[in-house]
Amino acid sequence: MTTETSDGAGSAPLAGASHSFATRLGRALPALPGLAVLIFLFLVPLLIMFVFSFWRTNNDFRLVPDWNLDNYARFFVEGTYLRTFLKTLIMGALVTVAALAIGLPFAYFLVRYAGRWMQRAILLAVIVPFWTSYLVRVYAWQAILGEHGALNQFLMGIGLIDHPSTLFVYDDPGVFVVLTYVYFPFAVLALYAALEKFDFTQLNAAQDLGARPDQAFRHILLPQIRAGIITACIFVFIPILGEFLTPTLVGGAQSSLIANLVVNYLRQAQFAEGAALAIIIAAFVTAIMIVFRKSFRVEDVVTSG
Amino acid sequence: MDDLTRAYDRRHFLKIAGAVGATGGLAAFLAACAAGTTATPTTAASSAPLPTAAGSTGPAPSAAPTPGPKGTFNWLTWSDHWYQAELDKINGDIGISANVTSFSDNIDAYTKIQQVGGQVDLVSGDALWVPHYFESQLIDAFDLASLKVSSQLYSVARSFEIWSSAAGYLGYPNGWAPIQVTYDPAHVTPGADSWELLLDPKYRKRVVVEDQPVEVMAYMGKAAGVKDPYNMTTDEIAKAKALLIQLKPNILRLAPQATDTVAALKNGEAWIATINLGADTAVKDQGGPMLTTFTPKEGTIGWMDSEMIVHGGANTNLLMPFLEVHEQAEYVAANFMLNRRPLFNEAAYKLLVNQGQQELADHLLFNKPETVNTMTLKGPGSSTQAVIAAFNDVFGA
Repeated sequence: MTTETSDGAGSAPLAGASHSFATRLGRALPALPGLAVLIFLFLVPLLIMFVFSFWRTNNDFRLVPDWNLDNYARFFVEGTYLRTFLKTLIMGALVTVAALAIGLPFAYFLVRYAGRWMQRAILLAVIVPFWTSYLVRVYAWQAILGEHGALNQFLMGIGLIDHPSTLFVYDDPGVFVVLTYVYFPFAVLALYAALEKFDFTQLNAAQDLGARPDQAFRHILLPQIRAGIITACIFVFIPILGEFLTPTLVGGAQSSLIANLVVNYLRQAQFAEGAALAIIIAAFVTAIMIVFRKSFRVEDVVTSG
Repeated sequence: MDDLTRAYDRRHFLKIAGAVGATGGLAAFLAACAAGTTATPTTAASSAPLPTAAGSTGPAPSAAPTPGPKGTFNWLTWSDHWYQAELDKINGDIGISANVTSFSDNIDAYTKIQQVGGQVDLVSGDALWVPHYFESQLIDAFDLASLKVSSQLYSVARSFEIWSSAAGYLGYPNGWAPIQVTYDPAHVTPGADSWELLLDPKYRKRVVVEDQPVEVMAYMGKAAGVKDPYNMTTDEIAKAKALLIQLKPNILRLAPQATDTVAALKNGEAWIATINLGADTAVKDQGGPMLTTFTPKEGTIGWMDSEMIVHGGANTNLLMPFLEVHEQAEYVAANFMLNRRPLFNEAAYKLLVNQGQQELADHLLFNKPETVNTMTLKGPGSSTQAVIAAFNDVFGA
């Protein structure tokens, strides 16, 4: 505790501390709304959900504080939840790989070879789908992939198939295609941001020093855009763990992902059961984020080399 | 530097805060405009034509200006219980407007009323949900006979045992429908009369059912001979689940909405579907095939809904005058033409007959309200959680 002194010796540090506190408060003020959002709209609801996940829903659809672990046990005991979660992870991984495989060459071309105006125009085209409703975009895919949809009409038109195929929609391939479409822009934007900072003359230098193009790509480019790749993975993979709308609209009876099973509980006001399943998914996402966070360090190829 | 930084931060903070506020306000406004679930009351009669039973514009029931209460009440209901031109007309005639909020399912409305109670004045609900609301003290009973318009109801609708209590009637009867099976005879062998049609391996990926786990399990329960499919025992759930496992390969998709079922039948992707009464006419109206529809011989589930007075509502005094007009035969008949399902207003049926719509009305069982007594009525069940677990087990990976 600071004590005031009559000679004024102690006043300077006190004033300094006060000034420093005021300065810090002033600097923190702009962050307060965001902090409030984080606390009251994210952390507190998450905490409430966490508490509810240990309760029960009674026959009057009310949550009762009858503490138990049954809601969590369900996930691990009834095989369907683990299997569906595994399927969701596989779907998420496949879509992430596809989005990166398509997005990286696309962003590379954009940054390296497209002119400034062309870059802007193409980036706008990437972003334009966000201006329309997610629901509308996914519904549109029904018209494209459906039995009487544009894709079947095209394939029959060019003589590749005789009858409309039912393979494209209301099954896992349809979900994969639509999820890739939905999350592709997120991957492109993250990769574009990383590639834009990359000095492409380094690739020429590497080749001048005898590196093959693939070696230059792996040892020069990839390490320097690693943060962008990881960001793209996070933007694509993690939201898919909570995806239920796309499987509902273009998936069939075989295409449920884990969020569909959670939603079935929540829609019937079985909040405790739904909360437990959601918390398990959230815990998994957190674990993934921690893993990604650790590998976020981007090595400086110059110094490490 | 600190001072500079502080001044910069403060100025920009204010700018940003203003921008965020303005953006938030704009977003909220746009969201309110875009939200199809909430209709704001209008103070003047809409210029939109008022549908009549014949489907054309024409005179609507007019109420002479009354000295009764005026104002706005809050109504939590399904979107097919009203239409805007009607509400505008009623508001113009008697000065009562409805602030309508839509909901998707009984459970949705019930849990909302549990939370907000008297912030809502009128709520719609199905069959056995109605006495459940009453037992939970969420609604008030009323004297049905005190509403003159109730004399237009079929007598059966004025005396439903499940909606009767010592304190009065629990809800104003609105409409009803059974869940039926419909199929395209061009692809499906005619003559089916059982739930078993859905399970026939010939129709792999040709069946559409709505994505409603409790209802799907309920009619699988009916197919398995279960008497009370909303309160199934463990054994009964196992039987229903076994049938659902048979059904799964045949399901093309679990349709999120009835319109998705209609679309799948119309474009030929689905040959068989479970539908609410009347969906087959919607398919035909939209240029789809002529479907054959039947009520399964094992029995079916169904709904009958009503308007309930929420306990503690702040605008309860507006409800009886509103219902007195809203439930008039002319409005009910026009509603039938818009939404195509039977309603409990006998005078509306007679009006439809007079307007040349008897064939349609009879096809949709408007003249047979006693059919509701043959259905297993929707209600809150004691087996909901176990039923969802079984449904998830079938449709999960």
